Amino acid sequence: MLSIKNLTASINGTPVLKGIDLELKAGEIHAIMGPNGSGKSTLGKVLVGHPAYEVTGGEVLYEGRNLFELEPDARARAGIFMGFQHPIEVPGVSNAAFLRLAYNKKAEAEGRDELDPLEFDDFIHEKIKLVAMKEEFLDRSLNEGFSGGEKKRNEILQMAVLEPKLAILDELDSGLDIDALRVLGDAVNKLQRPDRALLIITHFPRILEIIEPQFVHVLSGGRILKSAGKELAIELEERGYDWVLEEAAAGSQR
Amino acid sequence: MTLAVGSNLLADLLSGPRPAEWADLREEAEARLTERDLPTSSDEDWKYTDLKALAGMSFGPAPKVTVDISGHLLPEMVGTRQVFVNGHHAPHASCASAVPAGVRYFPMSHASEACHALGSIGNGAAKGLFEDLNTARFEDGAVILVPKNLKVALPLHLLFITKAEAPIAVFPRILVLLERGAELELVEEHLGEGPYLSCPVVEVHVAEGAVLRHERVQRESAEAYHLSTLKAEVGKGGQYHSRTLSFGARLSRQQPWVHLAEGAEASLDGLALLDGAQVADTHSFLHHAEPGASSHQLHKCIVDGKARAIFNGQIMVAKGAQGTDAQQQSRNLLLSETARVDTKPQLEIYADDVKCSHGAAVGQLDPEELFYLQSRGMNADDARNLLTYGFAADVLTHIPVASLRRALRQLVMARTQATSLGDLG
Repeated sequence: MLSIKNLTASINGTPVLKGIDLELKAGEIHAIMGPNGSGKSTLGKVLVGHPAYEVTGGEVLYEGRNLFELEPDARARAGIFMGFQHPIEVPGVSNAAFLRLAYNKKAEAEGRDELDPLEFDDFIHEKIKLVAMKEEFLDRSLNEGFSGGEKKRNEILQMAVLEPKLAILDELDSGLDIDALRVLGDAVNKLQRPDRALLIITHFPRILEIIEPQFVHVLSGGRILKSAGKELAIELEERGYDWVLEEAAAGSQR
Repeated sequence: MTLAVGSNLLADLLSGPRPAEWADLREEAEARLTERDLPTSSDEDWKYTDLKALAGMSFGPAPKVTVDISGHLLPEMVGTRQVFVNGHHAPHASCASAVPAGVRYFPMSHASEACHALGSIGNGAAKGLFEDLNTARFEDGAVILVPKNLKVALPLHLLFITKAEAPIAVFPRILVLLERGAELELVEEHLGEGPYLSCPVVEVHVAEGAVLRHERVQRESAEAYHLSTLKAEVGKGGQYHSRTLSFGARLSRQQPWVHLAEGAEASLDGLALLDGAQVADTHSFLHHAEPGASSHQLHKCIVDGKARAIFNGQIMVAKGAQGTDAQQQSRNLLLSETARVDTKPQLEIYADDVKCSHGAAVGQLDPEELFYLQSRGMNADDARNLLTYGFAADVLTHIPVASLRRALRQLVMARTQATSLGDLG
């Protein structure tokens, strides 16, 4: 589904990604872990086309197409979704209206029927149960005055509405208490299907106890230093990141 | 030379017969006017708001016309409306049958005995030139008296319609008196067609513990001048909440003056949506005269084309007004290279235990916000239009009259090219 080859990217001329290779197949769950400032979030943002980052080399194929030929909105309509670490607040636009607009843009692109406000009302009331969101959050302005946890809940609600093929979740666990993390983790699991892939970006392994990855990659200094199965997450929980960095440094000296 | 032109304008506006009622008030106002002249750009308060084109106009008498108001009725207020056309009360277009007993709600021409307070609100402040012009020449207007502890469930609708083929001048007048513990929601709306000058004066007295919510909608014609004065006195623990929404007029000026007694609360929000060569000016004065009062002011402008917005927000915290809480925000969105905003917050604080903040921002749409919407599948144009709509609609969110809120959202959608995005309710 997603094939990343020797991807390099920079922000304001400073290289952040220094040659990333990664393959994601449908049905797979991958976790990208690493210390702060390692380039984890950058990788996600580059994949969804954040304008602050410049792709300086390499290639990314999404379902066989060159990803970088698509504008960010076209990537979204093609089924790529990123749940952001810090979702933006948009005063004056109700959450429900925004969600409906996003749903209809995607439905239009896929040749499905758009939903009018009444139809959407029924649809969204089913979806908010999945993330245990209170109804009042639909009428409020998009993310305005939401707590960190409520914003994350809203991100997963958007994911449930848009049903992406490739979902990238950036630090879903930050700002969440353990109960909320459990609810949202379970929701993400319920949304996972054989034709979808999931990329979890996280600093802490605890989220991976709920959303269990088949593959764990350690990213540091803009490179993937180590890839293994989910047992690597457990090892990182016990030993931290330093040993991976040291191992990589020793490897490169050899 | 400009002085002479100005003098002609004032003389012209005062040339008609002086209405018989309130002779003393009118004489005083006229006496002050003989000493004054139309402000020019050398007057600090009018530095950015050029009245030259107005000074060059000459005004004829307002014709009596009939208008179709069916498009302006709002369901909650069908039975609580007073309509004024070209400065005169329009009895056939008005209907106050749903107004509860005890509330006095009359055209001024029918209720002069109830108007002893007229001209006395905000007597501590200097009278503005356009305020005096109104006092000298207003023909009619609305009087609203809500007795003690009566909470009026339905909002009242004042509709001022001006229809002119050649330039005319109208002087709408409103007096709102809320006795202790009374509560009222008032919608004041100005609209019209053709070239005209409208100089409304609104006087408000909110007694102890009373609450007035005041929505002010200005959608005058593209050729109109709208120069509005508001004076509000808010008693102990009283509340005055206003929202002024400026969409129309070639040039408009809002001049609210609000005086807060101990523990009173005020909000003074504003939105101006401008394009072409429109000018919208807000000069506000909030006086925290006594301790423990709070005020909140959010003023937003969206400026396109060669339009220009001016905001001058003065907040004065008097000596001894401890525990004052005053928050002011001026936020402006420029949509073109040639649009312009001049914003100036002015805090004067003479007490030491206060919580005051102000901020002013002028800019374009935030790229992070645009990207967020694009990442959800909206193309760049849709994302821009949605954010522009949201910037404006933010001020409308808390309008309590549902049909008015919907109508204004539609208006904002049309003006921000957001209509194609569907229902954003």
